[in-house]
Amino acid sequence: MNRMGGTAREPAGLSLKRVHKSYGAHEVLKDISLDIQGGEFVVFVGPSGCGKSTLLRLIAGLEDITAGDVYISDTDVTERDPSDRGIAMVFQTYALYPHMTVAENMGFGLRAARRPRTEIEQKVRQAAEVLRLTDYLDRRPGQLSGGQRQRVAIGRAIVRDPDVFLFDEPLSNLDAELRVGMRIEIARLHQELRNTMIYVTHDQTEAMTLADRIVVLRDGRIEQIGTPSQLYDDPDNVFVAGFIGSPKMNFFKAVVQGADRLRLGETELPCPRTDAAIAGPVILGLRPEDLRVAGPEEPGFPMEVKFSEFLGGTTYVYGEIPGGTGCTVELERSRQARPGTILTLTADIADMRLFDVEGMRIR
Amino acid sequence: MTGTLTAPTPRGGRIRYHRVLFHVTATLVALLFLAPIAWVVLASFRQATDSLKPPLPPWPTDGFTADSYVRLQEFGQSILHYTGNSAFVAIGTAVLTIIVSVLAGYGFSRYRFPLKGLVFVLILSTIMIPFQSILTPLFLLLAKMGLQNKLIGLVLIYTTLQLPFSVFMMRNAFDAVPKEIEEAARIDGMKGIAMLTKVMIPLVKPGIVTVGLFAFLNAWNEFLAALVLLTDQDKFTLPVLMTAVRYGRFGSVDWGAVQAGVMVMMIPCLILFLILQRSYIRGLTAGAVK
Repeated sequence: MNRMGGTAREPAGLSLKRVHKSYGAHEVLKDISLDIQGGEFVVFVGPSGCGKSTLLRLIAGLEDITAGDVYISDTDVTERDPSDRGIAMVFQTYALYPHMTVAENMGFGLRAARRPRTEIEQKVRQAAEVLRLTDYLDRRPGQLSGGQRQRVAIGRAIVRDPDVFLFDEPLSNLDAELRVGMRIEIARLHQELRNTMIYVTHDQTEAMTLADRIVVLRDGRIEQIGTPSQLYDDPDNVFVAGFIGSPKMNFFKAVVQGADRLRLGETELPCPRTDAAIAGPVILGLRPEDLRVAGPEEPGFPMEVKFSEFLGGTTYVYGEIPGGTGCTVELERSRQARPGTILTLTADIADMRLFDVEGMRIR
Repeated sequence: MTGTLTAPTPRGGRIRYHRVLFHVTATLVALLFLAPIAWVVLASFRQATDSLKPPLPPWPTDGFTADSYVRLQEFGQSILHYTGNSAFVAIGTAVLTIIVSVLAGYGFSRYRFPLKGLVFVLILSTIMIPFQSILTPLFLLLAKMGLQNKLIGLVLIYTTLQLPFSVFMMRNAFDAVPKEIEEAARIDGMKGIAMLTKVMIPLVKPGIVTVGLFAFLNAWNEFLAALVLLTDQDKFTLPVLMTAVRYGRFGSVDWGAVQAGVMVMMIPCLILFLILQRSYIRGLTAGAVK
């Protein structure tokens, strides 16, 4: 059941077909094609300047598209005004109207569309209940805290009853504690409303926790699309492997020798099976949480401990392997690692990821 | 430690010499600024003969009288008529300036068009031209259009002179409005004039007040252009009237009536400024921080 609006319509999907965007000669988005199912929560993630916000603004209609089409529920909306696309957007800076009360802010879109006042009041009240803002309806944005303001911004989006919600880094202006709370709130909202939501962030934790599917962008291209676990377990390339997961995956230069041996510095490790036969230099990717201290008879590679971070449940140990490459290991809490000691590390063969020297995954 | 708590020594008891000094200085400065105004007020209540005497002491020596106001009222049309002329010119200038500068400021702030930077600099550079130097061409221009000796002509001139500063102010005011608010409004279905009136104008209100107040005060007090352009005594604004208040046909200046006139001129400005001062100060500092 949809608690808002009452019309239990099918959530609308969205698709991007060969979307390009350039500012003058500078190409920001290069040939983006993407299909989003109705009701899906999709997160665009990537480093700053990768074009994720621009992509969201193209969907919103706030930027003109250079080439390509945007479809929302099978309708071409590429040439439509932002207000006629069936979208609502939540901005990083909240973008509330400072001269209006919370209720006026939330009902502004409906007032602009000249809807009857009773309907506006009812929808604003419902949205305020969902977001626990009922007591603040007569306040102005200036009298609210950051978290409350962002809830009002979300309320303004809900009241519009859109096909697609667009979030542009909505939590970046909040402090760490509030961010976690709001993240849960947004997840709850998605469960409750079941609308299609597109969420832009540079924070991979937000992406992992919220998304049904994650779209990783870099330099205006899609690097990989997949569920959080697909991206975590089965990254397509070094960039995705390094971007998803925290602390980030370790990458070591290694050489494949013979059919099933992998040489890492002085150490020989078993080599994971791949479909294509490989030989020569590769990049070995190992997540800190997959590394462990080798048993007495096990083969392992040495790491000199530089420093460690105790986080309560776990300890992250930072060090160097021979050759100077940095390495991070997650150790169980009972284990101590003083700076200067040498740990012999190993990992299960199933947890090893191989990439070619260009950084593409070898499966 | 004995475990008993002793209250810290209160610091309020000491006399703060720098605070005393501050208040004394502030009072002196305030007196310095208020003195001429007080002088005018007192002088306007002198007798006719009294007002021709040297100005010290500043208070009326022959007793208070409102004769000056009566003489001012009896000069030419009633003082109300001239106040009306001035009000028409000042309000007209303020309204026209606000309309044009809001539209221009919005355009300069939010739209992209060819030569935008150059046009803006050109508009600003006209501030550097003393308007007295273009008074003759202006007079000829108005004469050609049949607007000399008309208050509406004066409104047009004042507005023109007021615009460079006002457009600059309004562009800054619009620049200070975050783009996201405008984008949110676009998603909410606002465009064109509705966007300007319902979303943007409330956000730049301090700027509008500042621009309007400046335009009003400058037009209200302006003397030279009004003197040159208005020849018909019926059309005189208050500052021009002040030079015309004389005894008899070719008499000397009636200083008492002039002081009374200055009082009449001052009051609307004071009231307006006191009402609007909060928004006005916000407007001047808008964009100064962040």
